[in-house]
Amino acid sequence: MDAQKVDMFIMSNAKFFESHQINVIRERLIALDDSKWAMISTVQLKDPTTSLIISILAGSLGIDRFMIGDTGIGVGKLLTCGGFGIWAIIDWFMIQGATREKNMQKLQQFLY
Amino acid sequence: MTLNRNKLYSILFISCITGYIWLYFSLSNIENNREAFDVCLIKHITNIPCPSCGSTRSIVSLTNGNFNEALLINPVGLIVAAIMSLAPLWIFIDIVTRRKTLFDFFQKIETYLKRPQYSIPLILLVIINWIWNITKGL
Repeated sequence: MDAQKVDMFIMSNAKFFESHQINVIRERLIALDDSKWAMISTVQLKDPTTSLIISILAGSLGIDRFMIGDTGIGVGKLLTCGGFGIWAIIDWFMIQGATREKNMQKLQQFLY
Repeated sequence: MTLNRNKLYSILFISCITGYIWLYFSLSNIENNREAFDVCLIKHITNIPCPSCGSTRSIVSLTNGNFNEALLINPVGLIVAAIMSLAPLWIFIDIVTRRKTLFDFFQKIETYLKRPQYSIPLILLVIINWIWNITKGL
């Protein structure tokens, strides 16, 4: 794919991924066929900041986990008052990384 | 964090152990007539019970054999009790036979729960239960 296009994608979407993944994404995108550009550029990615806000406001109901697609863990948090409140606090710090991982998983199905 | 078999099993196992320790702690608290204390963040901050507040009391009354009372305090307690009693057994069997039936079951349930025709009624049920909790004043 065109390097300029890839750089544009990286620049506008860098905050959705872990920093150590960016290089891999760039290399894979450049090696990728041009026909996949339409799909790649329209992938719905979750904003880590939004999930952090939701985690702080409604974390003990597990809604942050439901939002990023970890339904099972979300149910676990909901049933236990956010893991006795401890897990909810741990998730304030974990949820951004978890969201970025989920975004990477979503993009990966197009990359490989 | 990609969830795999061993990660899920350790999370479940640790939660169950914590649950049992918490249950023992609350049971001994009740025996000595000490005041039970809440761990729920929402209840501490807003003074409104959360959807799963009262599940400890529900399980405690279940251990005394009062099924109806447990249901009336909070039906969520019954679900938690079922998970707490089933999960360690299932994990043990899976580890001994080196299979991953619980992990497959978990993933299947997850895909079902993501479908709106299942998730919307369940969300409504949780909200109804929450309203009931608030009116009961747990």
